Amino acid sequence: MHISEGVLSAPVLITGASLSAAAIGYGLKKINYDQIPQVAILSSAFFVASLIHVPIGPSSVHLILNGIIGILLGWAAFPAIIVALTLQAILFQFGGITSLGVNTFNMALPAVICFYLFSPGVKHRNSVIAVGSAFAGGFLGVFLGSILLATSLIFTGESFMEVAKLTVIAHLPVMVIEGILTVFCISFLKKVKPEILEIA
Amino acid sequence: MKNNKKPALFHRIWFGLIAASLIIFISSVPASAHKVILFACVKGDTVFTESYFSDGKRCQNSTIEVFDRNEKKLLTGKTNKNGEFSFKVPNKTGLRLVLKAAMGHRAEFSIPANELPNVFNKINKKSSPGSNRRETVPPGISCKAAISCPKAIPADLKNIQLLMEETLDKKLQPIMIELKKSQEKKISLGEVVGGIGYIFGLMGIIIYFINQKTKKA
Repeated sequence: MHISEGVLSAPVLITGASLSAAAIGYGLKKINYDQIPQVAILSSAFFVASLIHVPIGPSSVHLILNGIIGILLGWAAFPAIIVALTLQAILFQFGGITSLGVNTFNMALPAVICFYLFSPGVKHRNSVIAVGSAFAGGFLGVFLGSILLATSLIFTGESFMEVAKLTVIAHLPVMVIEGILTVFCISFLKKVKPEILEIA
Repeated sequence: MKNNKKPALFHRIWFGLIAASLIIFISSVPASAHKVILFACVKGDTVFTESYFSDGKRCQNSTIEVFDRNEKKLLTGKTNKNGEFSFKVPNKTGLRLVLKAAMGHRAEFSIPANELPNVFNKINKKSSPGSNRRETVPPGISCKAAISCPKAIPADLKNIQLLMEETLDKKLQPIMIELKKSQEKKISLGEVVGGIGYIFGLMGIIIYFINQKTKKA
């Protein structure tokens, strides 16, 4: 879900970049000293996740992991994701340097939304609520990312509904996989290192 | 006094090193970054294109736009199920192909003008039937020899040359595609590990600066 270089017009790029810059600033402020290694680990997870392709469906899709990153990091997802996206753009030629701001916003805003919606639910004692929130977090992260991607492509002359439909359908397998992945990760962390869920 | 100055100098060196490595890194990145890959080759008077995602999946039903050197759009087409699209060479100048795949993916491919002229010789030849053969016979070959040859074998050297070129194009096409594919950068383990290393290096630098700050405080 990387928008390539030369697709978007300058106003869209600048809007995305400035929105991301503001959010990154806020995210950096929110990170405390103990959380830095956690941000780095999740940033590298995001960096590598794009190499794991999901061979289902007609299009080429890969894991994104923005839902779980959001639940674990909150606003710190913005700095984590821009670092990973920058390295993906430089090393793998995924996306592009100029579209970095828009891509960061498309991936990290759903992460923050997932944090506000599901972070309390994930910590809930009732295991049904906890598992449900974790799955929904993983699922919704990718879903909202697809919607934002379609929104940023509106001004290129493509129809919003068409792109949104295509992107959401292409990413349905990813959404389900990430939902399940998030459930496993969260339940594992809850058993092994429950304090991680309290930091963000 | 000495102790105070040392960290400040150290900071500056650190900062300089990071800035320099970043600048070198970014400036070495090719301008056209992409995740979809577009290939094209000229065979006869037709340009064949192939487009796929970096994991090898074909781009189906994606738009391909063809521009000439003056950025004038010549034609637009859609790829088929195998990610292929072909068109007749419309213009003698160099061509620039732009692939617009789904979900904001884009790739470019240029065909320089020197790959096209041969094609146009052929087209001109074909388009003028009953061309004055005698004129095309090179001076070294006598008319007698040209006439006495059976019809199936082209008498003049130029025809033989054209036929050979056509055959060579045909035979070399798979090799050319493979060659161009192999030039495309593939992701190596080194880059993946390097990227993770960069992130952790960055973490180390940030922790170092925060530690310095708290020490001073």
